[in-house]
Amino acid sequence: MPATKPNVAALVEQMPETDKDIQAKQEEAKSAAQPDAPDKPKPRPDRWGAASKFTGPDPDAASKIFTEILSGGRDSLMELLALVREPSDADYKSYKAGYVLHGLVILAGQGGNERQRRLLVDTLASQLGQEGYSKAVKGYFIRELRLLGGKEAISALGAHLLDDDLCGDATQALLTIRENVAPQFRSALKKATGRNRLPILQALGQLRDSDSISILKKALADEDRDVRHTAAWALANLGDAGSIDALLKSADSAEGWERIEATNVCLLLAERLTTNNRKSDATRVYGHLRDTRTGSNERHIRAAAEKAMIGF
Amino acid sequence: MKKHLKRITRRHFLTGSAAALATVSIVPRHVLGAPAVSPSDTLGGALIGVGGRGPGTWSEVVKSVEGAGMAVTKLAECDVKWLDRADNRTKYTDFRRVLERKDIDVVAIATPPHWHALISIAAMAAGKDVLCEKPMTRFIAEGRAVADAAQRYGRIFQIGTFGRFGASRDSRNVVTRKIMKSGLLKTCPAVVIKRGGLKVKEWSGLVNARPQPVPASLDWDMYVGPSPMKPYHPHRHGGTHRGYWDYEGGGLCDMGQHYLDPLTWTWGKDDTAPVEVEPHAPPAHPEACGMWGWIELKYADGFTLVFDSGEWGAPYDRRQPRGISLDDLDDEGRKQIAAMPDPEPLRSFGEAVKTRKPAGGNAEAAYRTVTILHLANIAIRIGRKIRFDPVKEMIIGDEEANRLVNLPMRAPWHL
Repeated sequence: MPATKPNVAALVEQMPETDKDIQAKQEEAKSAAQPDAPDKPKPRPDRWGAASKFTGPDPDAASKIFTEILSGGRDSLMELLALVREPSDADYKSYKAGYVLHGLVILAGQGGNERQRRLLVDTLASQLGQEGYSKAVKGYFIRELRLLGGKEAISALGAHLLDDDLCGDATQALLTIRENVAPQFRSALKKATGRNRLPILQALGQLRDSDSISILKKALADEDRDVRHTAAWALANLGDAGSIDALLKSADSAEGWERIEATNVCLLLAERLTTNNRKSDATRVYGHLRDTRTGSNERHIRAAAEKAMIGF
Repeated sequence: MKKHLKRITRRHFLTGSAAALATVSIVPRHVLGAPAVSPSDTLGGALIGVGGRGPGTWSEVVKSVEGAGMAVTKLAECDVKWLDRADNRTKYTDFRRVLERKDIDVVAIATPPHWHALISIAAMAAGKDVLCEKPMTRFIAEGRAVADAAQRYGRIFQIGTFGRFGASRDSRNVVTRKIMKSGLLKTCPAVVIKRGGLKVKEWSGLVNARPQPVPASLDWDMYVGPSPMKPYHPHRHGGTHRGYWDYEGGGLCDMGQHYLDPLTWTWGKDDTAPVEVEPHAPPAHPEACGMWGWIELKYADGFTLVFDSGEWGAPYDRRQPRGISLDDLDDEGRKQIAAMPDPEPLRSFGEAVKTRKPAGGNAEAAYRTVTILHLANIAIRIGRKIRFDPVKEMIIGDEEANRLVNLPMRAPWHL
């Protein structure tokens, strides 16, 4: 801990203005000096190549600021988090506090900084359940945890899987942490409703969580087409031999894009079965696709199945 | 060998022509003085992403297909900003409805890059051949998935930049490629420096853009697609999307694949990637692409590639540009190079579609090229030197940096 507590707000303010802000201040000063001059039209913010860009601070100077704030421990971090606003917040003033937080995350994520990484992750995770931050700011914190978080952040992130606004960010952060996160998704799925089920089902498939097979199979009969497809994809990615018949039947009966998508799921299932040393099961899938995809628009599926079976 | 496996049926030709005549304006080939092409040599095509580069990308398809002695008719166009005019016959907002059409053989993709990989893979799964705008992908793992899909479905993929075709006809480049491919150089002393022209400031993002209402004609959820959902701002859409990590990778990704496409062919780097990447840049913003000075990338054989933006900080001065020549070899080496056959001419997209052999800018080559850009951007974003394993396709010893190699997608989208 440094002898004097860092003045976090003052350090944050040392970050440079954007060139749009600089330009605005210059124009303001010019107008003040020439009050009778006609106002120039302001550039549209969406015009290609328009000003309003981020030039960034001097790297060494920024590094010193980040290090000083980190060395201030949890109190300084809390002070910083309290300053963070997202542009959608009514009291948003500048990008600076959020940017400094990101700088700290990058610095703490460097190898050999485990104590600081842990401190920052614990502080960020502890604030996800607190009042006083907007949803947008919490989303920002979660995205920073996606870069830096480990097992210590799992439960705090898992608590947001049922939040309509934060579910996506929380899912991505947990998937990035990857180890020991499946129970969070299984637990959330029991309570999830509507579209929130999609990222959760997809995550269970990406994690290849074999404990989820029964709930994924149940989702194959869901009313929502996207839920059915996501569950089918998840089972295929798991390489679940017990799903062969259901997935083939689903693909055979589908039409249009849904048939393309479902057939692709069957090919994925066959590839996973092959990887899992279940070649006879994979052969069953490939053989079925070879024998049933006989139309001219499905020649490539037949060829893919035949090619895959050559090695068996 | 079958000369032309990819033919459409007369029924498709007639259906497609009728649909095309209904709403898409097409000048008949004979009016343009082109030789007559039989209906069975006329492919059905679609353009997905009509803004910005869209028309140019489509014209590349037409030029390439016609150059191979065939013709292509645009039967469908798709864009997420057409909620007010889509008819689901020739104008669509959902690319999946385009891809399910049996009369479409080739697809031009000119959406923002965060959609390139998924639409390419979906198109190939639907049996279509693909010409996809650069940069090929938004992150490294997507490129591998596209290359795997091209292999799995036996489809043609060509990246929408063509510099390597000209480069491969230059005798000096052929010699360089032969030397590199021969393995005669124990260590490659070459240093290639690209100075300027990378539009770094032009394609940087806003860090303080207040959300705005989504225009009624824009399907924002579909536009965002696999990327994290963020509030709408016009700067995130319509060309300036290049300034946001969610959709592209700044001027480096916008311009880099053009520059690297001939270079990776010439220097024989179509099957590997740099192993060490060092940036000189201010700390990056987590959402908006920003300024950087230079990036030095080294391959395992010593070949060094440098991007020097000329737009921030001191210029790169660590090493000077240096090529290689036959003078770098001994007499025996020079004889071996003289005896090596020249590389096969690169096939255009049209020739590849016709012959069912890989195009010059195929998925594997395009993937390795765009990987250079992604590694450079990861180094900029992480602000430190990174090491990369080109076989495992992972960053070594830096977990934080590695988390930028394969980004989870927003459901229901996934690789």
